[in-house]
Parts: sequence; C-alpha cells; structure tokens
Amino acid sequence: MSALPFHRRHATRLAMRYLVALILVVIFVFPVYWLFIISFKTPDEIFAFPPVWYPNSIQFANYAVLFKDGDAATVGNSLILASVSTFFAMILGTIAAYSLVRFKTGGENLAVWIISQRMMPPVAIVFPLFLLYVWMGWVDTYFGLILLYTAFSLPYVIWMMRGYIEDIPLELEESALVDGCTRWEVLWKVVLPMARSGLFATAVFTFIFAWNDFLFALVLTRTEVTTYTVQVTHYFGGQSNFWAKIAAMSVLGTIPVFFTVAIMQRYLVRGISMGAVKG
Amino acid sequence: MPAIAAHHQPDRNFKYWIIAPAVFLLLLIGLFPLIYSLVVSFMRIDMMDTDTSFAGLYNYKQLFKDSRLWWSLAHTLLITVIALPLELVLGLAMAYLFLEKLPSRQIFISLLVLPTIISPIVAGATWRLLFDNKYGPINQIISWIAGQRVDALWTINPSLVYPAIIFCEIWQWTPFMFLILLAALSNVDKSQTEAAEIDGASFIRTFRYVVLPAIWPVMAIAILIRGLDLFRIFDIIWALTQGGPGTKTETISIYAYVQGFKQFETSYTAAIAFLVIFLLTVVCTWAIRRMGLVK
Amino acid sequence: MSDLKITNLHKHYGAFHAVKGIDLDVPSGEFTVLVGPSGCGKSTLLRTIAGLEEASSGTVEIGGEDVTWARPRDRNIAMVFQNYALYPYLNVKDNIAFGLRSRKVPEAEVEKRVSRAAEMLGIGHLLKRFPRELSGGQRQRVAIGRAIVRDAILYLFDEPLSNLDAQLRDDMRVEIKRLHQELGRTMVYVTHDQIEAMTLADRIVLLRDGLIEQQGAPLDLFERPKTRFVAGFLGSPKMNFIPATTTETGVALSDGTRLDVPGRSGLKAGQAVVLGLRPQYIAMAGQSLAPGHARVPVTIELVQPTGSRVQATMPLGGATIIAELAAHDVSRPGERTEIDIDMTRAVIIDPQNEQVI
Repeated sequence: MSALPFHRRHATRLAMRYLVALILVVIFVFPVYWLFIISFKTPDEIFAFPPVWYPNSIQFANYAVLFKDGDAATVGNSLILASVSTFFAMILGTIAAYSLVRFKTGGENLAVWIISQRMMPPVAIVFPLFLLYVWMGWVDTYFGLILLYTAFSLPYVIWMMRGYIEDIPLELEESALVDGCTRWEVLWKVVLPMARSGLFATAVFTFIFAWNDFLFALVLTRTEVTTYTVQVTHYFGGQSNFWAKIAAMSVLGTIPVFFTVAIMQRYLVRGISMGAVKG
Repeated sequence: MPAIAAHHQPDRNFKYWIIAPAVFLLLLIGLFPLIYSLVVSFMRIDMMDTDTSFAGLYNYKQLFKDSRLWWSLAHTLLITVIALPLELVLGLAMAYLFLEKLPSRQIFISLLVLPTIISPIVAGATWRLLFDNKYGPINQIISWIAGQRVDALWTINPSLVYPAIIFCEIWQWTPFMFLILLAALSNVDKSQTEAAEIDGASFIRTFRYVVLPAIWPVMAIAILIRGLDLFRIFDIIWALTQGGPGTKTETISIYAYVQGFKQFETSYTAAIAFLVIFLLTVVCTWAIRRMGLVK
Repeated sequence: MSDLKITNLHKHYGAFHAVKGIDLDVPSGEFTVLVGPSGCGKSTLLRTIAGLEEASSGTVEIGGEDVTWARPRDRNIAMVFQNYALYPYLNVKDNIAFGLRSRKVPEAEVEKRVSRAAEMLGIGHLLKRFPRELSGGQRQRVAIGRAIVRDAILYLFDEPLSNLDAQLRDDMRVEIKRLHQELGRTMVYVTHDQIEAMTLADRIVLLRDGLIEQQGAPLDLFERPKTRFVAGFLGSPKMNFIPATTTETGVALSDGTRLDVPGRSGLKAGQAVVLGLRPQYIAMAGQSLAPGHARVPVTIELVQPTGSRVQATMPLGGATIIAELAAHDVSRPGERTEIDIDMTRAVIIDPQNEQVI
C-alpha cells in the first residue's frame, strides 16, 4: 500500500490520466491539423525540408484555385446528393419503420432482410448496378446517385427509426385515433413530432454516410455530378504539386462534418452504434 | 339510421402502402443486381466477348485457379485480424481512461472522435501526405527519435505498406470503438462493480466477471460492424496505395473493382461477388451465433 | 335509448380467448363501471368498444349505429387513457383542442369549448404550460379535459386514476363524479379498484375470465351477490367465508355453533355450504340481541385500528374471520368476548358451483 494519503494518491492518478489523455488527443488530432495546415501553406512551405510545422501566414490561394477551376463545385454536388437523398431516405425509411413497429408488417423476416441489406458489401453490387445504370442512362446523373444513396441509406434509417418509434407510447397514437385522426394524420401529427430528436440524429448520420461515400461515386459519376471524394483522388498520382489541392479539397469536404458533429454531441453514440447503445 | 360508411377498410392496406416504396427501392438496388449477377455469373461475358450462352460453373471453377484472388482475400484477412483486435483493445483502454471524471473530458472526447467521422478517402489522403518520405512529418518525427535521417517509403516499400495501412485504419476507427465502449461502460451498474471491489476482486476479475458480461452485447455488435467494414475495406487503401506496390495490398474489394472496371470481366466479377457474399454470410452467421447475439 | 349496445362479443388473441361472449346495454346518461381482477378482459372490452381492438365476432353499436368495423375516429367517442396520453410537444391548450381540430371544428368554437372545459376542471391558468411542467393530478385533469371538450356520444375511461397517489385519487374520483352529474353524458369506466367502482358507478359490470359475472347497481351487487366471486370481490375488508353445513333453520359450523338464517327455513338439511359474512355486519355483543342476529362467543387474536374503526381477527368455526368494529368497544387481543352477527345479511354459497343459494 502506498504511504501517500488518499487525496494525494488521487491527485497523482488524475494528473497521470490527464497527461495520457492529452497525448492521445495530440496523436489523434495531429493528422487533421496537418491536413488543415497544408491547405494554408505556400508551395515553398509544403515542400520545405525539414517540414514546416506551422505556417507563418494563413493564405487562401489553394482554395482560390479550387474555386477558379470549378473543382469546388464537386462539394456542391456532394451537398445536393447527400441532402436530397437524406431527405427521401428519411421519409421512406421512417414510414417503413413505422409499419414494421406498429403492424409487424412482414414479421421478423422482413426486418432481418432489411438490416441484412446493410451488411451487403458495396463492391458485390456495384458492378451489376453500373450495368443497370448504363442501360437506363442514369450514370452521371443526379437522379441516379440520389436514387442509389436513398436506397443504400434505407436499412440504416429503418433500423434507427424502428428503435425511436418503439419508444413512443402506444397510448399517444391511440388517443389520436380516438380523437379523430386518420392513420396518416397519426403519423404526421403524433409519430413525427414524438420522434423528432431521433429523426434529426438519424438524418445527420445518413447525410454523413452519403457525404463520405467514395466507391459508388467513383463508378457512377463522370464529370457532371462528381463528388468531392472522387475529386480528391483526381489529384493523386500526378505531380506532388497537387498536394495543396488534395489538402484544400479534403478540408472543404470535412468542415461540414465537423459542424455536424459539434451539433450532434448527444446523439453520436446511438447514431454510430446503430442503436446498440441507447443514447 | 345509415350505417357508417368508412370501415376499417381504408386502414387495412395502410401498413403495406407505407412500407412499399422502401421495399421497392431495396429490391431495385439490393436484390436486382444480385439476381442479375447470378445469371451473368453462369455466362462468359468479358471485354472481348458477350457470350450469353450457359457456361455452367466455368467462372466459379476459375475462382479456384485464381491465385491473385486468394492473395487478395489473404490481404483482407491480414488487415482484419491485426486491425480489429488492436482497435478493440485500444478503444477499451481509452474508454477506461475517460470513464471517470476528468477536466475538459467532453472537449477531449469530441476531438478524439474527429477521425471517425471524416471520409475514409480524406483519411487516406491525409495519411498519404503524412507518410511522404521526404516532406511528410512521420519520417521527420522518427528521425528525431532515431537521431539520424530516416527515409522510409511507407506506401511503396512492401514491408512498410501494411503497417502504414493498418496505422491509418486504426487511427480512423479506434475512436469508433472508444465511443461505443465508453457508452457501454457508463451503463454498467456501478453497484455491481463496487460490490466486486468490496469482495476484494482484482481489476481483471471484476472486468472478466462483472463488466464484460454487461458490455458484451454492445461490444459484440461493435466488433461485428467493424469486422464487416474491414472485410470490405476499399477507400483507405485506394487513397494510400491503390493496391500497390504491384498487387501487394490488393484487398478483395479492390480486386473485384479492378476485374469489373479495369478488365471488364463481367461474368467473372459476378462470380467474385457471389464468393464474397457467400463468405460473408457464412462468417456473419457463425459470428452472430458464436457471440451469442442470437440464441 | 341505449348509447352502447354490445351483442355476443368475442375477442381472441391467437389461442387466448380474452372476451368470451359479452352482452351489454348501456342506457343514455348512465355511468357504467367495468370492474374485475387483472386479466378479466375489462380493458380489452373497452378497447374493442373504442375500435382500438378488432372484435373477433359479435357487434358493437354506439348511438344506435353498428360500429363493429368502424375506425375509432368514426365512432364519435372520447377516451381518457391510463397514462394520460398527453402530447409532450403541445401545450395544455393545444392538447385539449387536439381532438376538436382533428375534426375540423371552427377555431372560434374550439376557443370557447376549451376555455369552458378548462374552467370546469380548474386548469384555466395552466393553458400555456407544457405537460412536463404539470403535476400528475394536473396532467390527469388535462387528459379528462381533452375528452369532455368533445361532443361525443360515449366517454370511455381506461383506469384513469391508477397512476395517482392515494390522496389525489380520492380527489379525482370526486371530480369525475361531479363531471358526470354536470354533463349527464354516457360514460364507461374501467378499473380494478372496487372502491372506485362502488363510489362512481350507476351500474357495476363485474367481469371474470372474459364473461360478465354479475351486473347491477353497486349496492345491489354488494348486498345480493350472485356468486362467491362477486361476494368476495366487492367490499373491504373482504367478506369472511366459513365452511358450514345446512340445518332446517340455518347453518351449523364445524365447531357445532348453530346459526339461524332468517327466511331460509326451506333449506335441505345436511348439505355442505360456505357461509359468507361481511366484516361490517359483525358487532360487539350489545345489551339486547336484535332480531335476525346471532350471538357467538369468540377470542380476539389480533386488532388493527384504522382510526374510527378497528379490524379484529378471530377464529370462528374452523376459519379465521375479520370483524369491523367500532373503535371504542374493542377488546384487547386474547380476550374472550361475544359478537353479534347480522344473519339477515349473510349469504350461503354452494361450494360445488360457487353460486349463492
């Protein structure tokens, strides 16, 4: 047993923990820091040896180039695709989840089938989808990508919303039915407001998944609806002077997600654990 | 008096109407490609030839002769079996670190979660910049520690490329494990761990017999989600090495992509897809049973 | 005219037969209480009336129309739920107005009716609050307000007081009774609490295992139960049951005590029966024995004061009985004394079929 009094030992322990936590934060945040720094560096600073750890001045030339060349429009594409598909996935997924919860539609089998769609490796379906899209003329269209992202988000939305809807007391819906609501009105006036925070949280994660997608966009876009993730990879492989563009483009694509997470603090765990931990 | 016209009838199909659009889309995007693949995998369609006659198990037999395919599976497995336990153990340790009160705890947690929410492509791109042999900070830091100039070619040298990939993977996904396990640990009934402590149980025993059973259901799902993600790993590798050098870091997803979109081996790619789905189903079913998620 | 008429109603949940053929007629303006132990089918019956459960067979008529297959919204009913069912995202006023607005009542009319209902319930000052800012009792008032604001034929109550503490429950009971008297509407009320049933009901419908055991005015059921179950369910403390054998003029207990039962001289002697005695109809022996009473020597074992009254436990005829005595004339435990039993109120039950003879 340590001879130190209890509160001294406690203080030492706390200091140690704090130190370790600080080191961890530095390790995990440093790469993000580096990405941001590069995006503000001049070419001389980027290719300095030894590396420049913090730039002397912040300059936006790297971003200006992206906007001048029109590359920044790919962020706009990502924004349109992710937000529109999230909108549709939320509507279709929520009503489907309601059907599963309240009416046990299709029994347990349908629910399991829907979640198993989430397990499907994208690479297993992307090729036949590509052929389907070529055949239908959907390649490199907003419609095609929105359709795909909506469908691909559905299992997640349904799974999450199922959990939130199960938490709504049945009495509230019954009361509304007796008070003169149709089933649609119950959905609209009771279920949606009751699941509001769940809807919000699920929408944010659905958005992030679509926003971060790479494989589908790589295969199914050409020039018109290229997303920022695909655009980032366009700068690979060439001369190293594309570094600034890689960094600036990545930052443009990352900032929205940072904001989102700042807002989403309290839904974070339930959202990424697919409801395994009720947050 | 007239009978009320509106019967339960309008409600009767309501439950089908509201689930129909979702099911339709899932069939279109999820099931249609599978059926299409299944049909095509029994033909011999490639870049040269669109032979739609029935070719039997030709493509499936080819799978067994294809050493590049089995290597890609081995690469995938290698990454998974190293990264997954490391993420789990690190995540658990971090969760314990942040379980009790700590000044500015919430800010730390928010910062730690950043890697998990950024796009894997951006994560890969970031590490590409970090790993650059000349201008990247990683070699610089190692040089300081080693006291001499280190010039490691992280994304090119065959013996360094896996550590690089796994490092990036762990950096991005350990926070995911951390966050879930932290939530699970916070939900453990404190009176149980305290009772074990009073009984004189060691930390290890308390963890093994009190904490682990309590957090297991959540932990198992986290392992399952991460295991599935690792099995289909694509983006990070695409950003870091594109499967190179040569085919040294080609995973099954990368290989299938190359076969489909670079070699245009339509039928063969379909067969690969089914192999992947088959393996995934078997492993998943086994894992779900084994982990006690389903009785 | 009857506002609610149920004919041969059955309800199955898979293999479970919850309601087994119920016929019920509720006249206009009557307060009917469905009461019974949990699992007796009273809630299922109410929910079937509301249209929240579908009848397996039989018919439900409300206001003279067959609504067996009608949706809840087409039944012209209002309902108060056990857990209040208030919408947390609406304030009190919007909660009360919800049903009216769903039925497209003009806004001016909504205003008028909401403020009248709120006033009636004494929640006029709470209209801008949200449910989470209210106490349990206030929430229950809002829930009741939401029902009475509607112009419905039938008002249903599903155990509305079971979540309130004892004091509040007594207050709300009075409130509901007053509302019924003021509004004169037809109400059907479900509870498992026999005191609620006795105090509120114009008529009690006592259910057991999906069937009506007995229905009638509360005092009628209390005084003239048809079965042992009814006799035992109503009244607190519960009726005492003592095994006995019939004689020409009454019954004999196992210890040889003979008790005459007035008006029951036609009984066949020697039959095994159960004698039911209400604790309220047993008193300490007075100066003279009232007609129809029997005097019995007993030893008091246990005394439980409840304030104005005392519940005394004592052995009698091989059973242990409880007598509710006046507080001032109770004896100490262990004391031998005599009690007078009002045999005109006694019930005699056939143990074979549990029917009251």
